[in-house]
Amino acid sequence: MLWKPVRLFTFKRKFDFLGQRKAALVLSTLINIVSLIGVAVFGLNFGIDFRGGIAIQARAKQGIAQLEELRSTVGALDVGEVSLQEFGDPSTALIRVQRQDAGPQCVAAAQKVMRKRADPAWQITPGAAGTGDVEFKAPAALDFAGWRDAVSQVGLTVQERQLPRSTVDAIKIDMSTSQQAEWCQQVAIKLVEDAIGDKYEIRGTESVGPKIGEELMHSGILAVLATMVAIAVYVWFRFEWQFAVGALIAMLHDVISTVGLFVLLQLDFSLTALAAVLTIAGYSINDTVVIFDRVRENMRRYKKLGMTDLLNLSINETLARTLMTSATVFVAVAALVLFGGPVLYSFSVAMLWGVIVGAYSSIWVACAGLVYFGLRPDQLRPEDDKASKAPA
Amino acid sequence: MLNLPRWQTIVIMAITIVSGLFALPNLLPAAVLDHLPGWYAQSRINLGLDLRGGAHFLLEADLRTVLTERLTNLSDSVRGELRKQQVGYKDVTVEPGQAVVVVLREEGQRAKAVDAIRTLDPSIVVSGSGDTIRLAYSEQELSRRKKEVIDQSIEILRRRVDETGTLEPTIVRQGDERILLQVPGIKDTTDLKRKINQTAKLTFHLVNENVAAGQPPPPTTYMVPTREAMQDLRRTNPKAWEEIQAANPRLTPEQICRRYQVQCLPIFKRVVVGGEDLDDARSTFEQQQGGRPIISFTFNAAGGRAFCAATRANIGKRLAIQLDNEIISAPVVQSAICGGSGIITGTFTTQQTQEQALLLRSGALPATLTIIEERTVGADLGADAIRAGTVAAIIGTVLVALFMFVAYGPIFGGFANLAMLVNLLMVFAGMSILGASLTLPGIAGLVLTVGMAVDSNVLIYERVREEKSLGRSAFSSLATGYERAMSAIIDANLTTLIAGVLLFGFGSGPIRGFATTLSLGLLTSMFSSTIFTRMLLAVWVRWRRPTELVI
Repeated sequence: MLWKPVRLFTFKRKFDFLGQRKAALVLSTLINIVSLIGVAVFGLNFGIDFRGGIAIQARAKQGIAQLEELRSTVGALDVGEVSLQEFGDPSTALIRVQRQDAGPQCVAAAQKVMRKRADPAWQITPGAAGTGDVEFKAPAALDFAGWRDAVSQVGLTVQERQLPRSTVDAIKIDMSTSQQAEWCQQVAIKLVEDAIGDKYEIRGTESVGPKIGEELMHSGILAVLATMVAIAVYVWFRFEWQFAVGALIAMLHDVISTVGLFVLLQLDFSLTALAAVLTIAGYSINDTVVIFDRVRENMRRYKKLGMTDLLNLSINETLARTLMTSATVFVAVAALVLFGGPVLYSFSVAMLWGVIVGAYSSIWVACAGLVYFGLRPDQLRPEDDKASKAPA
Repeated sequence: MLNLPRWQTIVIMAITIVSGLFALPNLLPAAVLDHLPGWYAQSRINLGLDLRGGAHFLLEADLRTVLTERLTNLSDSVRGELRKQQVGYKDVTVEPGQAVVVVLREEGQRAKAVDAIRTLDPSIVVSGSGDTIRLAYSEQELSRRKKEVIDQSIEILRRRVDETGTLEPTIVRQGDERILLQVPGIKDTTDLKRKINQTAKLTFHLVNENVAAGQPPPPTTYMVPTREAMQDLRRTNPKAWEEIQAANPRLTPEQICRRYQVQCLPIFKRVVVGGEDLDDARSTFEQQQGGRPIISFTFNAAGGRAFCAATRANIGKRLAIQLDNEIISAPVVQSAICGGSGIITGTFTTQQTQEQALLLRSGALPATLTIIEERTVGADLGADAIRAGTVAAIIGTVLVALFMFVAYGPIFGGFANLAMLVNLLMVFAGMSILGASLTLPGIAGLVLTVGMAVDSNVLIYERVREEKSLGRSAFSSLATGYERAMSAIIDANLTTLIAGVLLFGFGSGPIRGFATTLSLGLLTSMFSSTIFTRMLLAVWVRWRRPTELVI
């Protein structure tokens, strides 16, 4: 034997976990209420995935990124709210610009881009009010291919029939207002690129139009709810309804407090962050179910034991495993926080929190819930008994 | 429990080895891969755009306008048909994106009017009452049409974006009315947008039947390769094909015919009808003669007239359909085609007619595609992401392995760590087999899986410790430990898997990558952490026959 195993998380003493359940109840309620108030008052720092808008990663060609200078350069472009942050290293800045709306300012921006990129004599003007139509006037007559290239310059994708068959110097592109709004994101990217392109290298751009952002928000909320319900139903089938309700409350607790963490640290709430929330729901239930499994086993074995003692016993028996697994996941996630780079940062920090809160809620929310819901050892379904006696 | 039959051991080892073989190309350095056969070396996991660099677009097709156009056409033919049948009407209007509404002069003529309209297009649903007839397309027809528009747009995008066949774009349908377009390795999206705006050139020409093979064609005629011949060339002589695609300036069709000896047809230079006049082409079946698959097509008014004149004068001759300097088909003119629509018959399979119809429609995009999401990642940004992800993954894995070694000693910790490695191999293998892309969140999922996969072993080992402290023998505590931990392992993994699967269903792009690695990792960990380690333990127990467990 090279070395002996170290019993890292095995304790001689048995802890009275559920003795503290009142204090835990107060603490958990407090955390959740504060989280909800935080969301209501300060709001989540939604990333462009959900809010729509533009994000540009720019790296200074020389030296470090001058955030103040960038802020005033981009702010002067009349593109609405702009926020900047250092991203990963001091030479890189993440420029976020709010979602662009259709309207004359967007058409004017397109003209600015066209004049800079093609010819200063270009004119781009809005078409009839109430539509998203845009009129282009070229400095000289262009043919089909010329027009095709011209509208591509300002990031516009059109259907061929909108382009002229003959050689003309002015055309009108028919668009609905919502189509124009989507196009305006493209215009704004180009505008920012042109403004900072001398000193900065554009490493990556993202733009999410208004439509998709709202959709993602809806389906995101739906996904979180569906996940929790599906897991609760599974637990209900495998255990008793009290277990399912306990698990559901524990998941809600974890999800809400994670969202609260995002508010507290003002972390970017993006698609990846939502993935973290869902994963935390899944991870937290993992912990809970392992304890529940032991609770069920002990309920069959010790029919006379009081519920609180039985739960305490089960939690203590599985404690070493709970802590060991939390520790392995914790170190893996910590590696992501420290080395995973800026893109994964929000996700990893949330997961780190999820590991801790998941272990906490399994004991003090899910199991404490079983006490409050009045689960008694004689309530186990008989078919469960039979199943467990069959050889595993 | 620990007495494994030999065949089980063999099956478990086989699964492990096969996984290893599938995963291996992803782990070997390029220098080694060069010496391996190409098919094996190339079966690697695709990297997502966030790691590889490139452009990602989500395009939305404007289907409402397409429908409105179609309804407008319908209203035109309804007017014509009603006039022809001498049914008086007050008004025929189009509700944009919804229906055509006909108001008759006399209610009594309703039945006659409905019959007349039904002959125009059997897929119309008629509703309304009294003197008002409301015409709409059935749900079935609408969804068929939607699918057609998207399929067509995808095919057209593919032709336009990947002219050279070297870009490896991903172009797939996303939902009902969206197309996901991903082009790795490009940074300038202006050029890509120019390509999206580009039209393929479709023209109809008569074949000059007087040119004998090998003879130089007269000045009115030129040689154009057939699409079939070009595809054969691509298959049989890929090098020549690439040469043609890469040539700058592009080779004329005649040069291709001369230099590469592919099958070509002599066609008159004069264009009979241009593709811009083609309204629609679709694959259907012949009414009589056993319902052979055919292609039917419709021209607009101008195209119909030109086509009518040309076919009337050239019955029995071939009419070549040229798309981007290739002849996609050259059917023989059977009769004058004057109604503005016609059919192409031949010995086609359904698949062929579908393909041909698609090609015929390839001229113009059927709907406006609006960019509703755009992401571009520079290649060096992707490289940074790979570096960060790899470092995090390696450090995470090493830390977890250390933890297991310390907690459960060299033997049991070693078994768990071996299982963890097998799990990683299986995830890689699974992704290779599924053709899934590895994204940066995917790497995060992998790291998370590493942390969570050892959980099964932790569960087992802790249970073994408990059983041992109850005074069981070494063998018995191992066996019962495994047995009793099983139900917790299954419940714990399945619940987390539910979250993973829902995440996959909901997520897009990078998030899907995360859901894939996480779910795959959980699934494979059920094999590696339980079945695989049990086999290791069974072999170990038989070999060492331990009387006391050091765990």
